[in-house]
Amino acid sequence: MSDSGMNRDMRAVARTGLFMSEGEGEISRIIDLKSLARHYKKSFPVLTFRNLHSSGSLDSIRAEVKQKRLDSVVLAGESPLFYSTTRNGDLLLRILQDAGINSNRIAIVNLKEQAALPHRTVPAEATKKARALIDVGLEKVRLSKDVGMIEVAPKKTVAVIGTTAAGLFAAQRLLERGFHIFFIDRVMMRDVSAYKTDVMPTLAYVKRHSDAIFHDSPLEELYGYAGNFRIKLKDGVNLRAGGIVVAIEDDLEFTERLYPFLRLERDNEGYFKTIFSDTSVTETVNPGIFLIPHGTSFATTIASADSAAMSLDTLLKRHSIRHELFVSEVDADICGGCGTCIKTCLFHAAELDPVSKLSSTNIKRCVGCGNCVSACPTGARDQVSANTEYLLSAIKILSSYEPPGGIKLLYLVCEGCGYHSLDYAGREGLEYPTSVMPLSVRCAGRIDTQFILEAFREGFSGVVICKCAEDRCLNIVGNTDLDRRANLFRAVLNSRGISPERLRIFGVSDCDGSSCVKGAVDFIEHLGKMGRG
Amino acid sequence: MKKLRVATGHLQGCFGCHMALLDLHEDLIALLDSIDLVRSPINDVKSVPKVELGILDGALCNSSNLALAKEFRKKAGKILAFGTCAAFGGINGLRNLFSLEEVLGRAYVETESTIKGKVPSSPDIPGMLPHVRAVHQEIQVDYVLPGCPPTPRMIKAVLSDIIGNKEPDIPQKNLCHECNRKHKEMYIPKREFVTNSVHAIMELDEIDPEKCFLEQGLLCMGPATREGCEARCVKGNVPCRGCMGPTTGALEQGAKMINALASILPAGAMMFMEDVVGVGYRYSLPVSIFPYREDK
Repeated sequence: MSDSGMNRDMRAVARTGLFMSEGEGEISRIIDLKSLARHYKKSFPVLTFRNLHSSGSLDSIRAEVKQKRLDSVVLAGESPLFYSTTRNGDLLLRILQDAGINSNRIAIVNLKEQAALPHRTVPAEATKKARALIDVGLEKVRLSKDVGMIEVAPKKTVAVIGTTAAGLFAAQRLLERGFHIFFIDRVMMRDVSAYKTDVMPTLAYVKRHSDAIFHDSPLEELYGYAGNFRIKLKDGVNLRAGGIVVAIEDDLEFTERLYPFLRLERDNEGYFKTIFSDTSVTETVNPGIFLIPHGTSFATTIASADSAAMSLDTLLKRHSIRHELFVSEVDADICGGCGTCIKTCLFHAAELDPVSKLSSTNIKRCVGCGNCVSACPTGARDQVSANTEYLLSAIKILSSYEPPGGIKLLYLVCEGCGYHSLDYAGREGLEYPTSVMPLSVRCAGRIDTQFILEAFREGFSGVVICKCAEDRCLNIVGNTDLDRRANLFRAVLNSRGISPERLRIFGVSDCDGSSCVKGAVDFIEHLGKMGRG
Repeated sequence: MKKLRVATGHLQGCFGCHMALLDLHEDLIALLDSIDLVRSPINDVKSVPKVELGILDGALCNSSNLALAKEFRKKAGKILAFGTCAAFGGINGLRNLFSLEEVLGRAYVETESTIKGKVPSSPDIPGMLPHVRAVHQEIQVDYVLPGCPPTPRMIKAVLSDIIGNKEPDIPQKNLCHECNRKHKEMYIPKREFVTNSVHAIMELDEIDPEKCFLEQGLLCMGPATREGCEARCVKGNVPCRGCMGPTTGALEQGAKMINALASILPAGAMMFMEDVVGVGYRYSLPVSIFPYREDK
């Protein structure tokens, strides 16, 4: 993009602050943050820190937001995963929100894993690429609107899935604190006699407690959010719970059955896992759902059960829980009521009034994956977290970076598996060409085939989509819907003289950095051989 | 009352949009009270006088079209791109999927009835443009009215608005909004295709005149197409072919329809059954994201 074009855009975001992290040297050793700061200072307040989470940095950021009356912020440094999986990162986001910045006006630019670590032998190119990535972050906050939120009065009931030892211990703790409990399992009561006799008093306590109810009917539906989950069982029972404890040990078959309802991340063996952090032992990607990890010692399992109970006690005793509406929105001026979103949404979040022929989003059910946004043939639907205008603009900005060799790859990564994998690649020290230009989307299902055409028009030589492997899509059907779209779409590419070989789709599991990188490197080599056409 | 001076011009197309002006019938008489049609292919004036409104139908396919469009831009205060070809390039645009050599060779040399054909090359014949384009892609356009052809009701409404110095109000929703066919499967929130199979129209002995075409396994472009045509085709029991172009929220019709179809009809069946490209871009290829085949 020409400089004059950028400057025009920048004026419109005059109240955006750019905070850059040296990553304790890991970033600044490779990327010339000083030159970037000089460049962006022309248009924005820019501060660079050794890291963004030390108390000194936090104080300065807070002061800067207040003094410059910033309404949006770009954090260039660590991965978004740093913010979603560590207490340090989480604290920074909370401080920004408390200072009045809406979550949707905070863009996180991953300089560390996407520009510094994988390109450490070519610092000048890494710096150029970093600039394109920061430009995308600035564009994100410029084009995003505030996300709405609702306050939920939390239900003082907890669903414990699995009548295992850990489940019973967590239940006892919660019952002692005055919560109601209902158990959901494939049997009324598991045989816990294999455990030490220490479980027996807990079993007796829970079984005799009038506030504990046992269900053995399979799940039919589960939706909602922290503070208010709605659960329907096959036998017709409807339940409400403020939080959920998953304590199913190594029951893989049960994990499979629960997966479409709980949508928790799974490890390579297929078991549910907590978010990757030593400090978040039982927290999962879904707030309000806590997991007792399997395969640990009895003592650790019980400690985890205590931790989950403690977390739920803290969460549900709050007066209210804030829930941000990162959902799909409908433009009523454009929606004509064709029903495509109704057919597309697995979560039954798309609703339609057949009389007015207008669709709407059930905010209790919408998970914000964006599959309906891709599917909507009119463009009436859009995603709050990453709107279509931003994604199209980001593709254009990323194409402005001219890598050595001339072959440019747009690397669309889903936030489920693809993003994690690319991060792993960076952390593992795997180097790959700077021409791999990453753009994260919420889910592979959010990838509109219009984006692919746009990428080729903007001059990318190839497009890679890094989606979750077969049965690992957190939104269950996002990856397969993408495949269906791509299969039909190949004819369109062919018709424009663009070889369908220029579009590759990788299914990866969430920490598969090496196949992510190998795929990209092989592809660039292949594109080099193909030449044009 | 002072009459609005209007000129109309025909670019590349079937002339149907000019004919559609005559479909206004009695309304035309009233309309002529407020406009002065000083130039049109109907009254056979060759030059373009200075006018307040220039109406162009047809796409830009050759140098003559381009010259006329530029002449109109110079002489007219406002330009109305009239009809689907002017607005999106229309059906002419499908030639963008082939090279000029392929197109001319097919037309003049390879047709089955041609013996010893050759591509005409007289300097008196306007040269073909490398790609078909919509009018707004070459000259600035003030108003756009799609339709193949536009309905008399829309023509009347848009011309009245322009005469009254108002911004014409073109519908924004998709065809499903004004289509009265009954939806059943499409409105059931269930991850299942609406049918098991996809059919070409001629394959079916009977087409239910009341039921959504997609639910009958017939490819209908309605969901990805702007309304405003009064659903004439679907009322005639023929699926929508998309002549009104994409809705305001979409960049193009073809990709959007593919995105939608992935959760409506079995993709496997469609890939073998249908000319996905021809269906998706029949009328709007020149205004799609990638408007022509890249020359190898």
